[in-house]
Amino acid sequence: MHQILSFVLDGKIQNITFSEHFSPTTTVLNYLRSGNEHRGVKEGCAEGDCGACTVVIAELDVNNKLSYQAWDSCLVFLPMIHGKQLITIENLKQVKDGQSILHPVQETMVSCNGSQCGYCTPGIVMSLFSLYKSEDKPSTLRIEDVLTGNLCRCTGYKPILEAAAKACVHGGKDQFNNEEAEIISMLLEIRKNTESLSVENKTQKYHQPLSKAEALKLRKQKPGAVLISGATDIALRVTKKHEHLSDVIDLSHVQEFKKSGGDVNTIYLGAGLSLEAVKTLVKQTLPALYETLVVFGSKQIRSLATLGGNLGSASPIGDTLPTLMAYDASVILESEEGVREINMNRFVLGYRKTELRSDELITGVHIPKHEPDKIVKFYKVSKRKDLDISTVSACFSLKLQGSTVKEIRMAYGGMAAVTKRVETAENFLTGKTWSREMVEQAMDLIGKEFTPISDARSGAAFRSMAAKNLLLKFWSETK
Amino acid sequence: MNKSIPHDSAIKHVSGESVYIDDMQTDSRLLFGRAVYSSMAHAKILSIDIAKAKALPGVHAVLLAADIPGANQMGPVVHDEPCLAEKEVICVGQAIVLIAAETPEIAYEAEKLIKIEYEALDSILDIRTAIEKDSFLAPPRQMKRGDAETELKKAKHLLKGEVETGAQEHWYLETQSCLCIPGEENEITAYSSTQHPSETQAIIAEVLGLPKNEIVVEVRRMGGAFGGKETQANWIAAWTALLCQATKRPVKIRLFRDDDQIMTGKRHPYLIRFEAGFDEEGKISAVKFEQFADGGCVTDLSMAILERAMLHADSSYYIPHMLVIGRACKTNLPSNTAFRGFGGPQGMAGMETILDRIARFLKKDSAEVRRINFYGMGENNITHYGQEVELNRLPLMYEQIIQSSDYFKRRKQVDEFNSKNEFYKKGLALTPVKFGISFTTSFLNQAGALVNIYKDGSVLVNHGGTEMGQGLNTKILQIAAAELGVSTQFLKVNATNTSKVPNTSATAASAGTDLNGMAVKNAIDILKTRIAGVIAEEFSKKHPNDKSLANDIQFANDMITDTKHPDRNIAFAEAMPLVHLNQVSLSAAGFYRTPDIGWDKATGWGKPFNYFAFGMCVSEVLVDTLTGFHKNLRTDILHDVGDSINPGLDIGQVEGGYIQGVGWCTTEEVKWNDKGHLLNHSPDTYKIPSVQDIPADFRTALLQSAPNPNAIRKSKAVAEPPLMLAFATWLAIKDAVSAVGNHETEPEFRLPATNEVILTSIEHLRNEIR
Repeated sequence: MHQILSFVLDGKIQNITFSEHFSPTTTVLNYLRSGNEHRGVKEGCAEGDCGACTVVIAELDVNNKLSYQAWDSCLVFLPMIHGKQLITIENLKQVKDGQSILHPVQETMVSCNGSQCGYCTPGIVMSLFSLYKSEDKPSTLRIEDVLTGNLCRCTGYKPILEAAAKACVHGGKDQFNNEEAEIISMLLEIRKNTESLSVENKTQKYHQPLSKAEALKLRKQKPGAVLISGATDIALRVTKKHEHLSDVIDLSHVQEFKKSGGDVNTIYLGAGLSLEAVKTLVKQTLPALYETLVVFGSKQIRSLATLGGNLGSASPIGDTLPTLMAYDASVILESEEGVREINMNRFVLGYRKTELRSDELITGVHIPKHEPDKIVKFYKVSKRKDLDISTVSACFSLKLQGSTVKEIRMAYGGMAAVTKRVETAENFLTGKTWSREMVEQAMDLIGKEFTPISDARSGAAFRSMAAKNLLLKFWSETK
Repeated sequence: MNKSIPHDSAIKHVSGESVYIDDMQTDSRLLFGRAVYSSMAHAKILSIDIAKAKALPGVHAVLLAADIPGANQMGPVVHDEPCLAEKEVICVGQAIVLIAAETPEIAYEAEKLIKIEYEALDSILDIRTAIEKDSFLAPPRQMKRGDAETELKKAKHLLKGEVETGAQEHWYLETQSCLCIPGEENEITAYSSTQHPSETQAIIAEVLGLPKNEIVVEVRRMGGAFGGKETQANWIAAWTALLCQATKRPVKIRLFRDDDQIMTGKRHPYLIRFEAGFDEEGKISAVKFEQFADGGCVTDLSMAILERAMLHADSSYYIPHMLVIGRACKTNLPSNTAFRGFGGPQGMAGMETILDRIARFLKKDSAEVRRINFYGMGENNITHYGQEVELNRLPLMYEQIIQSSDYFKRRKQVDEFNSKNEFYKKGLALTPVKFGISFTTSFLNQAGALVNIYKDGSVLVNHGGTEMGQGLNTKILQIAAAELGVSTQFLKVNATNTSKVPNTSATAASAGTDLNGMAVKNAIDILKTRIAGVIAEEFSKKHPNDKSLANDIQFANDMITDTKHPDRNIAFAEAMPLVHLNQVSLSAAGFYRTPDIGWDKATGWGKPFNYFAFGMCVSEVLVDTLTGFHKNLRTDILHDVGDSINPGLDIGQVEGGYIQGVGWCTTEEVKWNDKGHLLNHSPDTYKIPSVQDIPADFRTALLQSAPNPNAIRKSKAVAEPPLMLAFATWLAIKDAVSAVGNHETEPEFRLPATNEVILTSIEHLRNEIR
């Protein structure tokens, strides 16, 4: 075990010892802004909704090559960037012989009038930089996807879209290519230390296990510790509620949790996979899960948030939960005592309560492979289509025999204290003709099943209407 | 001139080098300020216990109202706004205690140790309750022309109804911020994110009980403002200054996002009741409006906002008989305030609703009904407050946009689509904008500048306006360069500073360039006259028999030239030391006041505006009738900025303004619970448009060859007017909803048209059909 956090910034390995200045739950944003050298990164909301704090993280992939991802630095605790390269807005402009040379994404942001007040601009430039490094000549859809997590209140976005399209045409080549070999050797140097990071001081304990065995051991020893992986939810307790987290187990560095695979009948997804990774993995195989993730948060959030975290937080809205319920998935729970698998329908017990025991970790999910004769679709209703939490969400799976319903699953989020299937309506429709008349009768049963709440997102009546209509929508698209 | 040069800070923006207040370098003595605010909408304060907070290590000051050395008062117009609540709180979010501590964390800790006891009082949280309880900020205002009441009775058709518009949170990316640095004795320099440095200076001075010459306010730039930093910035600046004076250390307050949303005012929600009389063709003869604004707990700018709403109740239409009654309700919400459009959007929403409803009632195309009601050219061109609509661009713009947007063909396609689809409906609408440019409080239409030329030929331009992203400093740079005949690299526009240009008006009312550009021009004219005199004499030394005349001296292309004798010339930079050697000042103050405007608030009659800016928009949407979602399929904008000083910046203002308006009209919903607590206090639940919400096909054009004789370099103000282009999208959504009932029934509708509003309206139409 060691106490020193190491990462690359400004072309150098930075070593941080936690002291009165920085604690393990200091965010990367606050760390950067605490000095005078990196104040280009901005705080707009401290909750991952605006992207003004976007930085780019370069990390080694399985082939020891660098991959570049945009993160919301306001949601990232410092230890999470251990062994990675942190790139900030200050690193993009070069100065050669007294002349400033802008990065291509900066150059086009200037020429297209992509900035007005300039406060969101560093974050936008960093998102565009991550796109520049990962995709050449991206489609408008891709550009929009990358920019969804960056709010701009001035421009109306059009010039920024233009700037992105104009910039990303050089095959990702820039000054960072010249430094890559050196950066990689620095990251490998950090990695030589195979001990895990562990900080214990008077007020705080923070452990970052590197293996599953170590993680399970810690979990048993510290049943009360807060578990994080992407921390996109837990970080809000620090950044918004100013809570002090006294004991944290950070699972973000356990590579065993980031695996995927499966067998003839099932797909396996590791709990530590980021939702962006899951999205890429399941695009062909589990289209409804893919659609769920397309409208989940933003690129920056999905690159941090993990599948296990989303399941473990068991929010009533759930996002992936209704979809996994419709897919009849099961959750893999592991402890030092052994492994057990719980069907999704039995995993959530109550409001933010799950089957997970205090010595267990969610290590993955098993999802039955998509059957060709089964239709599965996900729907989300939110005030804004993207980067918004669902007001109501639903996932339906349907198997027809001719025009008769052989099997149907209807799982809803946002309608009760837990994500929930509507078994009354499922039972009613099973064996019936898949017709508008039957569907409309089933809609009444959905209405009877739920008594939703009114809150900041919408009124209860709207939730009920939308929940019923989603079944009609599903019917209209599958009839 | 008249070309698209990038924003003067663009390179700094994209490199993260532009400095906002929170980025400024300070010494280690910096303290972090925090305001502890009311959790009650209306209550008596029984006790405040700050002892434990004061004793916390790292806390350097805990201040209450009693600790304010000057006046506990900071209303910009009416003195009804205490800086800190003393005996009573009148809204959730009202500041009560100030803390200065060594870190933000210690300040939070200290806040937790403060105990405030309240005794709850009855509260009023919405317009209808305020009307019922007769709770108003001021007596009613009225504007009238003709006899609307009588003419309404005579009209062939009469329409009665009401429309509600919601609040809007500014959501500037940079939250309210101020940094105060103590100087000698009583001096304080305040770096404030304010649109109104002179008023911020005045309020700091009054709260501290000091003369204004002790206080300097400086603004380099703001990270967005949109009206939200016209008066609201004063709070943060006053609190910071109080803590700075109490501790004699640098103090900074940057509001946390949620606190900013909870504490500061928003766009005024409105309830507008209307009656309109019209004939078979849809021509309107008379309209009566009653406008009710939710002013919040104190006056702030509510009366001026109400006035502008009333002045824009006509939208773009000639209404022979018109009566507008306006009332500002007093409620227990944070005082609502300026927001891009300043009441104009709310006033216009009422009239555009009338036009939309008339068209549906008569089963006519709504663009056509709008056209026949537009202000005329040479006739039917006097507004309901007596101002002539000069240089009316409406008919020309209508003709152009109908053609460029292919309106009538698409109208048919939309109807056809709707007849074939049950679950998806399309909608299309055209709406105009006519927006009056000038502060309606006429004396505010003044500006100052200070232009310094240094001996090396470099020029420092100071003016009273503030840069909030709109590109004011870039336009000023262009204006100064053109007037001085030098290239822009000679020039720098300075941070706005109250010790350079005093007694300025807010950068507001879209008038930043109009007013400050003219003041800069005035300063440069003075300098040019002085320089020309010296240079003519210098030229004449070599030609005693054929002297150069000052009147013939021209400033162009970085040269100073005698136009009668072009061989007599000197480079601008070389000329400046000569002027200095001749003991002539190279520094000049400029001033401008808008001429020929005058407006009698009491009678509601006169010429409040220097001129009008026009715009027009055609928008097409697709509505999912099962979820209430809509998609902005295509939007065409034609906007009038006169001869554009910088088309790139102007288009940015037009597109950005439109999208901000779309946010107000669609997803930006502000709700309070029955205790007066704001429910949407972070971007988690308050949804401004994202990149995915802009039109799939987004076409923006500036009206060509339409110079404006009334403003600097024949340009027109931009800023506010484009926000109201968004009504086309709002009413296109309504058109799609209406298609569910085959346009037979007037749908329920409000602003914002959230998917909840849309779906609820559709369900009611469906139930009616069943």
